[in-house]
Amino acid sequence: MLKKTRSLICAGLCVLALAGCGNNSNTATVATSTQAGTLAVDPPLRVASLTASAFAAQLGASPTGQQLLQLAGTPACGVDFYYMKYWTTAPDGKPTEVSGAMMVPTGSGAQCSGARPIVLYAHGTTSVSTYNIADITDSTNAANSESALIAAVFAAQGYIVVAPNFEGYDISNLGYHPYVDAAVNADDMMDALTAARTALPHSFTPGTTDSGQLYVTGYSEGGYVAMATVKAMQAAGDTVTASAPASGPYALEAFGDAIFFGQVDIGSTIFSPLVTTSYQNAYGNVYKATSDVYTSTYASGIDTLLPSPDSLTQLFQSGKLPEAALFDSTTPVTGNTQLDQLLAVPTSPPYSASEAALFDAGFGTPSLVNNTYRAEYAADALTNPDQAEMTLLNGGTLTASDVALAAQPAVGLRQDFKLNDMRNGGWSPKEPMLMCGGDQDPTVFFQVNTGVMAAEWSPLVSAGLVQVLDLNGTPGGAFAPLQSAFQSTYAALVAAQGPSTAIQSYHATEAPFCMVAARDFFAQVP
Amino acid sequence: MQYKIATLALGTALALAAATGARADTAHPNDIRIGGYFVHFDTSASDITGPYTVPGLNTSVNNTTTLYLGYVRTLSSHFAVEFAFGWPPLTHAVGKGPAAVGSVPYNGVTIANIRWLSPTALLEYNFFAPDSRWRPFVGVGVNYTYFYDRQVTAAGAAVSGGPTSISLPASVGPAVTAGFKYRLNTRWHIVASYSVAQVNSRLTTDTAGVLRSSSVHFWPNAVVVSVGYSF
Repeated sequence: MLKKTRSLICAGLCVLALAGCGNNSNTATVATSTQAGTLAVDPPLRVASLTASAFAAQLGASPTGQQLLQLAGTPACGVDFYYMKYWTTAPDGKPTEVSGAMMVPTGSGAQCSGARPIVLYAHGTTSVSTYNIADITDSTNAANSESALIAAVFAAQGYIVVAPNFEGYDISNLGYHPYVDAAVNADDMMDALTAARTALPHSFTPGTTDSGQLYVTGYSEGGYVAMATVKAMQAAGDTVTASAPASGPYALEAFGDAIFFGQVDIGSTIFSPLVTTSYQNAYGNVYKATSDVYTSTYASGIDTLLPSPDSLTQLFQSGKLPEAALFDSTTPVTGNTQLDQLLAVPTSPPYSASEAALFDAGFGTPSLVNNTYRAEYAADALTNPDQAEMTLLNGGTLTASDVALAAQPAVGLRQDFKLNDMRNGGWSPKEPMLMCGGDQDPTVFFQVNTGVMAAEWSPLVSAGLVQVLDLNGTPGGAFAPLQSAFQSTYAALVAAQGPSTAIQSYHATEAPFCMVAARDFFAQVP
Repeated sequence: MQYKIATLALGTALALAAATGARADTAHPNDIRIGGYFVHFDTSASDITGPYTVPGLNTSVNNTTTLYLGYVRTLSSHFAVEFAFGWPPLTHAVGKGPAAVGSVPYNGVTIANIRWLSPTALLEYNFFAPDSRWRPFVGVGVNYTYFYDRQVTAAGAAVSGGPTSISLPASVGPAVTAGFKYRLNTRWHIVASYSVAQVNSRLTTDTAGVLRSSSVHFWPNAVVVSVGYSF
């Protein structure tokens, strides 16, 4: 009888043992290759799936969303948001894992399935290390509004969107962001595109395919990255159907010189540590110690400060960064009259009252950058001038013959700016390009960036291959409604907040207008 | 650890059965039973947490009916041990919470099908004399639940965001029972009982490397109606 008992128990255990075999293998594949462009997890996670009406309802729930709906139009398609992990190349040449978004249009509309064009999008400067443009579900993520913007403008109108988070953000363990590092940023964009092309057939809508049309765009830092990507893709022989970099710091050397000459832009105390950390890691020529550039108040730890999980408010309040004081209000005196004038706090005249007020806000005590470094940089900018910045400083008009880069900058940071300046390399776009911005932009100055590139490529501008859209210009041509809409939106902001507060949001206010302009532009270049 | 506890519990019950078997005062100390297991799950799970997870997502388990198989060894006039098995039922885990996640339906949607093996060992006390026609009994014991064949449905994959695997570690928990036996003749009888077990586990899903989890507690309470044969 005991024997029988045992055999029954055994039967039970045997069933258990068999059951152990019946497991599920229903998981994504994790790539073993770390080659650049490899999709690390295939298929990628679909973070959210929204029908056109659900997306419209979500946008309609907030005032900014309502404005976006009005500008971008009612969604024609639903949008599936995917979170991609993929491999790219760090500045040291080693493979590094990064992440980004793929947004796929869905639904029964004619433009929502089948072969669709791809928009490759580069996001703007952010100090927040957790930035994740794929995470449309988390309204607390710093990327949430930019994610909604590109989804509304592009994906909900039938474009597949690919948008990297960049090295240094989200899952990236690089520890810093290769900020305005043209080659590295362009590689990240191209690797995101390769990964997305791998992911697309394994999405929930495998019938939605890449039509082969590729549009490259981005805003602010992303405008720069978009242009760098066009340059790199052309060099690699890859097709770019059209591009629309917007409000980017393309002419880094000229822009840097303008800032060191006292034309301090809004956001400069964030941009400075991002750029010095990036170039120091890439080239090792910015400083021997951070105190070579930064004042003793801020030098310690500034090379590892950004991107940070803390908000800007927290960084300012904890005293790790000044909110606006890039330079010391007691400006350096070198004995060189011309240089000392350029180092002085800008006044009106020669600047307009609003310009002088804007630049003046960039001076304070304690400042971020020390006077010794500022004087050293400015002296080099005067001795080895960037022709474009000199032309602007002298009140001249930019032409193709007076926008040359400095021949031999001596200061490390200026050498790095020159290397990464979009004028470098004697290239020009082969396919249509729209450069959108606003000429009163207080964050990324329009003339010294967009204006300089337009002058550099003036024959192409004349030929219509390169178009410049100044949102603040007199409305005219195909983009007149957008120009008028931007100007009335900003006027309303000024009326509501006053000019000194409204100017803080000028750069961000341009973004959706430039993105809609990009979409309209792309539609003309099939 | 849980395996050890289960082994220990089953081993103890078995040893008890073997040691006291000789003192069994019935001519037919072995009893095999077959019948129906009508299982109602009182589920209590914590909301699913993890990256890319909207708040308020929960799950419940649909009731099920399956085949009951039991072996009872009489130890003495009043004590017996029961080893109860349910034929592994296909159980449906159902979304509980918002009607949709984004635009993907959730509430009431079957998100996974799971089979599980749930043997229970019970020490039972039988009232009245062994030859009584009616014998009520009560019992306490241990339940071991092992989940396998865990398949996420297409609807579950849609709401999770891609192909998804599930892990649900085995559970060991207490079980109690009460019922009665109705003797038809010396060999055959009918048994009806009501049993409750406690099952605790942790549901973890893996979608594209994104792990989400929920603590799952359920109290499967089962009505068993069976026919038994003594030998």
